Amino acid sequence: MKKCFLFVIATLIYIAGFSQFSRASLQASGLTCAMCSKAVKVALEKVPFVKEVKVNIKNQEYSIAFKEDSKADFDELKKAVEDAGFSVASLKVTGNFTGINVEKDKHLQLDGKNFHFLNSNTQVLNGEKTLTIVDKDFLSAKEYKKFSAATKMECIKTGKAEECCVKEGIHSEERVYHVII
Amino acid sequence: MRNPRSLILIFAFALSALAGNAQGPIPNIADYRLDFTIAGIKGDSIKLSSLKGKVLILDFWASWCTPCRFANKHLVKLYNKYKGKGLEILSVSLDEELKDWKKAVTKDKITWMQGIDRGGWDSMAAIKWQVDALPSSFVVNKNGDVVAINPEKDDLEKKIKELLGL
Repeated sequence: MKKCFLFVIATLIYIAGFSQFSRASLQASGLTCAMCSKAVKVALEKVPFVKEVKVNIKNQEYSIAFKEDSKADFDELKKAVEDAGFSVASLKVTGNFTGINVEKDKHLQLDGKNFHFLNSNTQVLNGEKTLTIVDKDFLSAKEYKKFSAATKMECIKTGKAEECCVKEGIHSEERVYHVII
Repeated sequence: MRNPRSLILIFAFALSALAGNAQGPIPNIADYRLDFTIAGIKGDSIKLSSLKGKVLILDFWASWCTPCRFANKHLVKLYNKYKGKGLEILSVSLDEELKDWKKAVTKDKITWMQGIDRGGWDSMAAIKWQVDALPSSFVVNKNGDVVAINPEKDDLEKKIKELLGL
């Protein structure tokens, strides 16, 4: 029995390479001063998996804590900001990694979502790491242009896996978040 | 008209007409639901309802709010022009950092009443006055009634002149 328990624990440790994204920091922009309006904070607070939103004036950003055992949907954060009349200027998401291998242009599943690392050297991620999402409309058009030039893969334009990833077992219509670390 | 039933009908009609007017009662600074006491820049405390009887601009702002800083330039001119005639302004800063607030007050050459309610959007004064964007300003007459919300700068001066009887 004890052996069996240890085996389960060992398996859990081995599988649990990534628990969940726990928090994010987001910057909003718009024609008017985004921080001067309560709208973005209120909209983010209404997103179901969001636990708490703090306004950080110094860095002009919103610190968002996700609920425990929730699956954060970054597109939903973007939609909330856009529905409030602003756009996302930056979204950084933080999670805890245990021995996750990443390399440039490699797709990876974390927390039930597909990720494409655009700039990473081949490395093993351990501990708390922050990824910056560089998909269209998650940063300024100018910055997006810079990052989209970093890969020839089609998915950067659509945010969908497209044909290039099918061989990795991802459906071509599946969402892929493009990130840098 | 002597029929009591018709009187009741008229009364009911009058009531529904009132209810149909979505304006509701005019907000007044003496109302405990709107009143607040905040820390003043001179180390004093400022109670909003104590300003009843004055022509007042209640202005919510913060040092980090660029549009507010622009608005301050205009408020300084307006205040200097009408302070001798009885205009009062109470600025409520939603700054978190005291030093940022004090620096902005000095830089913008603000000489009217300055208070701070730290805590951003969640500060008590901001919640009571349902402030959801900065700057937000309320013009109050001598009875303490709010007579204008976020007026444009020309309308603001017009309103102040009218309230001061100029």
